[in-house]
Amino acid sequence: MKDYEIVVGLEVHAELNTDSKIFCDCKNAFGLEVNTQVCPICMGMPGTLPTLNEKVVEYAIKMGHALNCTINTLCRQDRKNYFYPDLPKAYQISQADIPLCENGSLEFMVDGKMKTVGITRIHIEEDAGKLLHDESFAGSLVDLNRCGVPLIEIVSEPDIRSSSEAKAYLETIKSILQYIGISDCKMQEGSIRCDVNVSVMEKGSSKFGTRSEMKNVNSFSAAVRGIEYEAKRQIELLEKGEKVVQETRRWDDSKGMSFPMRSKEDAQDYRYFPEPDLLTISVDEKMVKELKESLPELPNAKIKRYVNDFGLSQIDATLIAEDMEKSLLFDKCNLLNICKPKNISNWILSDISKYINETGKLISETNLTSEKLCALVEKIEKGVISNSAGKTVFDEIMKNGGEVENIIESKGLAQNSDTDFIENLVKEVFENNEKSINDYKNGKTNALGYLVGQCMKASKGKANPGIVKDIVTKMLEK
Amino acid sequence: MRLYEKTASELSEMLKNKECSAVELCNDVLARINETENTIGAYVTVAEDSAKENAQKIDKLIASGESLHPLAGIPIGIKDNISTKGIRTTCSSKMLENYVPPFDAAVINKINDAGMTVLGKMNMDEFAMGSSTETSYMHLTRNPHNTECVPGGSSGGSAAAIASGEAILTLGSDTGGSIRQPAALCGVVGMKPTYGSVSRYGLVAFASSLDQIGPLGKSVKDVAMLQSLICGHDRYDATSKNIEYPDYAAALKENAKGLKIGIPKEYFGEGIDSQVKESVMNAVKELESQGAVIKEISLPSTEYAINTYYIIASAEASSNLARFDGVKYGYRTAEYDGLVDMYEKTRSEGFGDEVKRRIMLGTFVLSSGYFDAYYKKAKRVQNKISQEFSEAFKECDIIATPTVPASAFKIGENIGDPIKMYYNDVCTVTVNIAGLPAISLPCGKDSLGMPMGLQLIGDKFNEQAILNTAYTYEKICGGFDVLSKAL
Amino acid sequence: MKIDIKHVAKLSRLRIEDDKLEKFEKDMESIVNMVDKLPDVEGTLDLNPKDTMTLREDKAVTDKFKREELLKNAPEVQAGCLVVPKTVE
Repeated sequence: MKDYEIVVGLEVHAELNTDSKIFCDCKNAFGLEVNTQVCPICMGMPGTLPTLNEKVVEYAIKMGHALNCTINTLCRQDRKNYFYPDLPKAYQISQADIPLCENGSLEFMVDGKMKTVGITRIHIEEDAGKLLHDESFAGSLVDLNRCGVPLIEIVSEPDIRSSSEAKAYLETIKSILQYIGISDCKMQEGSIRCDVNVSVMEKGSSKFGTRSEMKNVNSFSAAVRGIEYEAKRQIELLEKGEKVVQETRRWDDSKGMSFPMRSKEDAQDYRYFPEPDLLTISVDEKMVKELKESLPELPNAKIKRYVNDFGLSQIDATLIAEDMEKSLLFDKCNLLNICKPKNISNWILSDISKYINETGKLISETNLTSEKLCALVEKIEKGVISNSAGKTVFDEIMKNGGEVENIIESKGLAQNSDTDFIENLVKEVFENNEKSINDYKNGKTNALGYLVGQCMKASKGKANPGIVKDIVTKMLEK
Repeated sequence: MRLYEKTASELSEMLKNKECSAVELCNDVLARINETENTIGAYVTVAEDSAKENAQKIDKLIASGESLHPLAGIPIGIKDNISTKGIRTTCSSKMLENYVPPFDAAVINKINDAGMTVLGKMNMDEFAMGSSTETSYMHLTRNPHNTECVPGGSSGGSAAAIASGEAILTLGSDTGGSIRQPAALCGVVGMKPTYGSVSRYGLVAFASSLDQIGPLGKSVKDVAMLQSLICGHDRYDATSKNIEYPDYAAALKENAKGLKIGIPKEYFGEGIDSQVKESVMNAVKELESQGAVIKEISLPSTEYAINTYYIIASAEASSNLARFDGVKYGYRTAEYDGLVDMYEKTRSEGFGDEVKRRIMLGTFVLSSGYFDAYYKKAKRVQNKISQEFSEAFKECDIIATPTVPASAFKIGENIGDPIKMYYNDVCTVTVNIAGLPAISLPCGKDSLGMPMGLQLIGDKFNEQAILNTAYTYEKICGGFDVLSKAL
Repeated sequence: MKIDIKHVAKLSRLRIEDDKLEKFEKDMESIVNMVDKLPDVEGTLDLNPKDTMTLREDKAVTDKFKREELLKNAPEVQAGCLVVPKTVE
């Protein structure tokens, strides 16, 4: 078999979290009673007209800046015509040849290396409604609540060369959307979806193979599976001497396979033309500049800062920076300047991440604050409590709240580091364990561990184990 | 003299001076509808109850001394492609035969706020596609001056109702001449305002970039009064222009002295009936005798206007009419096998042939491989036509042309020949292509006794100029004799 | 020019009965021949900075319409939804 290279381009659709819809003043909300967030405009009633929501333009420009795009201060919307029951006007108002943002790029880490993917364009458009299917019912039901929910479509250049690059790209896009606060990014609610273009070519070739476009990819892990499946399918075709057909395929994640969506003779002809109900979109240069200045520090800059200023590993820095809540907590803790960034990072990536994963809560929804986390880490750093007592304090904070100091006290978690106290303790243990002392002196070094254990037991676990070990060693050497 | 025979401005004074009541006026027009509607067929729906209710309300307000809009209590007919909450809005199509909108068009809000009495909905060519009202799914509308002739179209019902006295004022819509052409053929006054001056919100779209709602009436002042009411910026129509709009009726004045009238030679070519040319030139000469200056001008791209128009209008229509799919409202076929079958049967049964022709033409010119050759080319010609008008308005204040090449043709005469029908719009489409205002006025009758129309075209947002000239000409004529004597 | 009327009809979700096909084809061809006579004029279709629009403030308005009011014109409604022939197999 020849050596092949995978070529992937991604089209990410992200729903924007504006208050109202893109072309009418209906509420932009998810999960409400069917057909209650609709009006004659988003239902496409005869005679209704669209008016463009200014926030949609602003949000798209912000994303354009975040992805280093050129902003087209004059652009327009176009109609994409096709018939489907979830599209009430039978055309989607989108953008064709003049998108709001174009020619950008995105840098991100993948397998420890920096990767750059070109951004072809970002355009604004409206979402369609939803079709509901029920086994017991002969027809399909149409809910139009989602019609007119604002979307941006982010189209990448075919610069992605593996499924892991695709995953890293998608995760970076997602975290940027969250950082600039323009999308809720709830995958389960479908607020980010993507279409995946895949082709394969012989390694070293400069000519791309024929691509297929895969739709219905609803999660990042599905994108990974879809890309791998599709690449394999295409390579198998080529190895058999067959040709890859340019087509649209539907990804079925439960089956782990893609299926052709439309036959060739039934190819779609969207008949794009300029939307006559809207005039030219003109964006003020000053606003474009202000939006650029208003952008928060984005994940890439954070990763660099975490590595350079705080000495975090690339992996840890990425894990924190990619998650806006985690990085927010991390940044706040470091501003307090009480404990070591590395120790905070360890807490965030272990116990806190575990708690968040298990409960599905946001950090902001828990009892944990940057002050509490710092107080906790400080107590451990100073040896006031042990690491395992620290976990007890953490559990208590998450469960019932309260202050670190009070919890240590009420639960009696403070460790004893008083050398006089510990010396007395060690003496007592030595008196009852002559055999072990002799064993040690005869070269059985594991007797040390046993003696330390006995001391800890005698202190009911409160003695500072480091000091105990030091004193035991010192007394044995006498 | 009956009330229905009077103009809106006369009736407005009478209501104000309590010389008649709104109920009397409403009842008289309803009575007139009863007398002639069987012959004329101007209406799709007569909203008798709500009309009477409004008239009563207005009388109470008058009695209580409330200060009302000058058009309060004046009966008006609305073209059936303008959305009226609670009154079915059919576009004269089987597709929307039973569609009752849940909302009012922006112009209807203004009409209701002014207290006008909405009489009902006027017949039209199906989805405003036609020049004779013969493509209506509902019924024929006949020309009040000769009931064997068409009233023109697509606002045929709106024009015929004025000429027969079945309404005091009406609203029409004009995409390529649909107000002016029937106004000319029925011998009434009708104006197509500048694109963007009247909100299109609630006007069922035919060609969004060309459509405009406008007034029809018995006199220039009536049309000016209604235009003053319906114009203005609307935040629900992104193409509506946010500028100050004058009170056209209050500002009406004779303006012939020193007025530069452009006569474009391309509008007086071989396709135009000699009687029409003559009557238009006579009207222009009358204005000249009052001090106007006549300038021959040239608008060389006029010959491409019809082609440009049919490409742009059909392209937009094919997309605008795609929403009629039997899912959300309107007609759905009785039996079907699957989604595509439902779509195809619903649309094939719900639309008439002319609508289908235009949808297919529009689909074709937008389809892959043809977009550049048709749509883009047409848009460039559109720009050229606009530029030529801009140049012309540097030399003259208004442009005078015939409205229609000839007087009304016989019912059925052109229906089998779409192209012949399309050439009825030859003098009017340029105005839509360039987004200009234009008014059609009666300028005499031909040898068969049928009205002919004079079209006055103005520069963008300069409705006042064409209204003033129209007003001057109306004065010269001693008023227009609008009502048909044949009924 | 010859027009593939069936393809255009399909794209338009229209079905032309066989007995009308010829007439439609003839009409369409003559219309297309008519519009074909457009000259190639100079000029660009650049966006016009003078022809711009004001955007809408992002402010949601709720409870403008009742669901039944919006669905009352629909051919078939069930459980507050529009009903269409099944779209998946």
